[in-house]
Amino acid sequence: MSPLESKAAADGEFCSPSGPIEQVRYACSLGALASVIAIPGAIPITHCGPGCATKQFHALSGLNAYQGGEFHVPSTNIGNREVIFGGTDRLDELIEATLKVMEAGLFVVQSGCIPGLVGDDVASVVNKYRRRGVPIVFAETSGYRGNNFTGHETIIRAIIDQYVGAYDGPREAGLVNVWSLLPYHNPFWRGDLGEIRRILEGIGLRVNILFGPSSEGVAEWQAIPRAQFNLVLSPWLGLATAQHLQQTYGQPFLHVPAIPIGAKLTGAFLRQVTAFAGLDPQRAEAFIAREEKEYYLYLRDFSAFYAGCTSQYRLPSQLVVVSESAYNLAVTRFMVDQLGLVPGRQVITENPPQAFRDAIRAQYRRVADGVSAEVDFAEDGHLIRRLIGETDFTGQLPIVFGSTWEGEVARQLEAPLVEIGYPSTDEVVLSRSYVGYRGALALIERTYTTVVRASTMG
Amino acid sequence: MAINLRTTQAETREQRLGTITHWEGNAGQLARDSAHTHGCGRGCDNGGRRLCEQSTPFAQASMCAEHIAVTNATIIQEALVIQHSPIGCAVSQSSTCRYYRDLAARRGWKLEDPQSICTNLGEQDMVFGGIAKLEQTIREAWERHHPKVIFVATSCATGIIGDDVDSAARQLEDEIGIPVVPLHCEGFKSRHWSSGWDVIEHGILRRLVRPDPPRKQDDLINVIHLGGPDVFTPLLAPLGLRVNLVMGGNTLDRLAELSEAAATVTMCFVLSYLATGLEQEYGVPEIKAPLPYGLADTDEWLREIARVTHREHLVEDVIARERARIAPELARLRQALAGKRGFVAAGAAFAHGLLADLRELGVEVDGAYSFHHDPSTDSGDPRQDTLSHLVETWGDIPNYTVSPDQHFQAHAALLRAKPDFVICRHSGSMAVLTARMGIPVLPIFYSNDGLGYEGLLTIGRSILRILPRKRFCEDVAAHSRFPYQPWWLEQTNPFALGADPA
Ligand code: SF4
Repeated sequence: MSPLESKAAADGEFCSPSGPIEQVRYACSLGALASVIAIPGAIPITHCGPGCATKQFHALSGLNAYQGGEFHVPSTNIGNREVIFGGTDRLDELIEATLKVMEAGLFVVQSGCIPGLVGDDVASVVNKYRRRGVPIVFAETSGYRGNNFTGHETIIRAIIDQYVGAYDGPREAGLVNVWSLLPYHNPFWRGDLGEIRRILEGIGLRVNILFGPSSEGVAEWQAIPRAQFNLVLSPWLGLATAQHLQQTYGQPFLHVPAIPIGAKLTGAFLRQVTAFAGLDPQRAEAFIAREEKEYYLYLRDFSAFYAGCTSQYRLPSQLVVVSESAYNLAVTRFMVDQLGLVPGRQVITENPPQAFRDAIRAQYRRVADGVSAEVDFAEDGHLIRRLIGETDFTGQLPIVFGSTWEGEVARQLEAPLVEIGYPSTDEVVLSRSYVGYRGALALIERTYTTVVRASTMG
Repeated sequence: MAINLRTTQAETREQRLGTITHWEGNAGQLARDSAHTHGCGRGCDNGGRRLCEQSTPFAQASMCAEHIAVTNATIIQEALVIQHSPIGCAVSQSSTCRYYRDLAARRGWKLEDPQSICTNLGEQDMVFGGIAKLEQTIREAWERHHPKVIFVATSCATGIIGDDVDSAARQLEDEIGIPVVPLHCEGFKSRHWSSGWDVIEHGILRRLVRPDPPRKQDDLINVIHLGGPDVFTPLLAPLGLRVNLVMGGNTLDRLAELSEAAATVTMCFVLSYLATGLEQEYGVPEIKAPLPYGLADTDEWLREIARVTHREHLVEDVIARERARIAPELARLRQALAGKRGFVAAGAAFAHGLLADLRELGVEVDGAYSFHHDPSTDSGDPRQDTLSHLVETWGDIPNYTVSPDQHFQAHAALLRAKPDFVICRHSGSMAVLTARMGIPVLPIFYSNDGLGYEGLLTIGRSILRILPRKRFCEDVAAHSRFPYQPWWLEQTNPFALGADPA
């Protein structure tokens, strides 16, 4: 085993890897403030150093596909005085002032490294406001305790326990809560959540999508306990949330590790959901048929390009995929199953808890009928470059799906690079989606535009 | 106050210069109060009072000194930066990388990713200390990349748990045989991010400048700038001077040569630590003239450089030629901008420079927003008092706000100023705010854009390019709102919350 191999805890908890990291591919727990910002009507309040919140959001949103977003986050901007004497008084003053100046349906107080280290009792400051009926919760997101993936589940848990609260009313058949991509970290989350919502509504569900422009925001969060079930659409992120909701509200959940891209996989996914939720199969089949008709007309015409009337271009044949697990698995499956590429090197970069890794490996072993792939887990750019360097591409034309950090390695391989993950600094993304029916077409467009340009523009 | 290079830590600018981050009033008053309290005429009767910092109970996320120090260490070529921190501090790596590659393309350097590594501290390290990981990372960094120098930047976490970074750096330096330079830049230690400039300049002065220069280079002038293309050589080459462009990306050789130069000029006195240190430690004279923004000040700036470097016989020709060269276009720009109202948001001396540019271009400006205020400079020389100079040369700025990029205060200041356009630095929150208020904005990424004669043209042309974007800005403004309470959305006093808690 390499000395750099991460040693995550075996109990499903995040544990930071033991080695140094080059080419950082995720934010710290505090970075989950991006998830709060992704909820329309919610505002984070950060209790941390002066630079922490801006750094996390600027990295996740500002430069990552230039997503923008509402960033005017109240922050204590901890200085010498708070480090020496404690920062709870300052936090109290800030919350009071925030309520005077800002307007929100929900405030999420997030602590960073410093309060954890100097021992601030943040919960009791926040509880004072909760007792007054202020919609405010506290999430402990010390940067040394986790990354923005685990932080995401921490803020979700805080909102459910401290804001949504107890519920013993009836459940609404056909209402689902969706837990899927990590907002902002995945550059395409806005369009993707919109597409996921669209296809689930297509088969007759009503959807709490919870984050992004296609969400109703805080009102949807209040409706969480009424849902018939939870859908976890990702390899592991959201599972802890779904388990917690099962315990709290007795809601069942359906776990689908691979986000479907393309008609084959999306159709199978929708049938699986239809069966689980007891929906009307005829309605679902009608929707699937309508979507497939359009999808396959496009694919029919794309085959003119793909089958070779443009054979001067070097159409790639083997995959390198470097990204967080959700897109990694989804894109690998689509490229292998739909377009017939072969797996090459797949590296998962968000440090998933150890307990989920075997299940993730199993997904790659049956990535498509008759195709088995291997997957590596690595966070450090140096190690990732080494893994790619050790890959056998004999006779193949590789293509890289990754982040900006893969630019150099793609050049060395003379492979086109399609940015699919954090950080993507060469993409400007608004509503583009790469999942479901419509997203698959956009992914094909981006991929083969990149391939053609690699030939025509050098 | 002399710069102290004996310790590894730079004193913060609050301590050295009396830097403040919150103030509101007219620029003339701020200039007088600053001179009265910290300037050369300390205590003398100049109509000033004791400089009093204002406060506000509300605050929004800002920026930290670590960010500035790390960014500017990372863009030094052949250097490697270790961020000794939990992963969150190092998430800025992607933007630093983008910045470096952009600089490299503009300056003709090799296009490659800069080297930075995070020690990636976790909870265990908070309990047991992070020094072992730091040592491992320094060794790893050396083996992986063989840099010529390694910087080790501290973070809030390592500052609080008390890691002895200095000893580790010394020990590893002996072991691997290249300089390992600590940068003490814990974000909580200074209230303003610009202290990060002092930290990296402190490290350069202590460790990277050649201590016993073998020779003096009479035609070499150090130009310390925030970053960007070389706009100085065209101005200084006709005087027979070679430009040693430092900060904002440079080679280690150039930094070593700093002590050999005939003089140093600083293009923004927020960075004056290095120039003052070079004069104090190596006798390289610091040019003490107002910054070259606007025609007259550019003339004076060139004359002062010529005087210090003994080139008086060449300078009048250069001035006349440059003025004649830009005159026709300057006239065109003045005409096109006549009657326009501008607003400037930038950091201290840089803001003062842009204000001078706008007034030289005939733009009306009665509001400005400075991200911090330095009541003095490290040299303490009154000729570097850019705010007093601005007020004397161009008249007062009636509404002058000091605030560390606080969105809510900037909103109030812009509502009061109602400008036709805004020029801003730190293009993050200010630029977005401005556009969302329906006002076209010129964000300045490379701060050399407004300098010298050519700078007037660069700024004037850029303003004309952005004005038509008003269509976009107004449309978005009409269809979105900020999540402030209605009373704050109407507020035009940035400090209304401090003065009157509603
Ligand atoms: S922890 Fe401190 S050094 Fe790190 S980003 Fe936050 S304020 Fe800056």
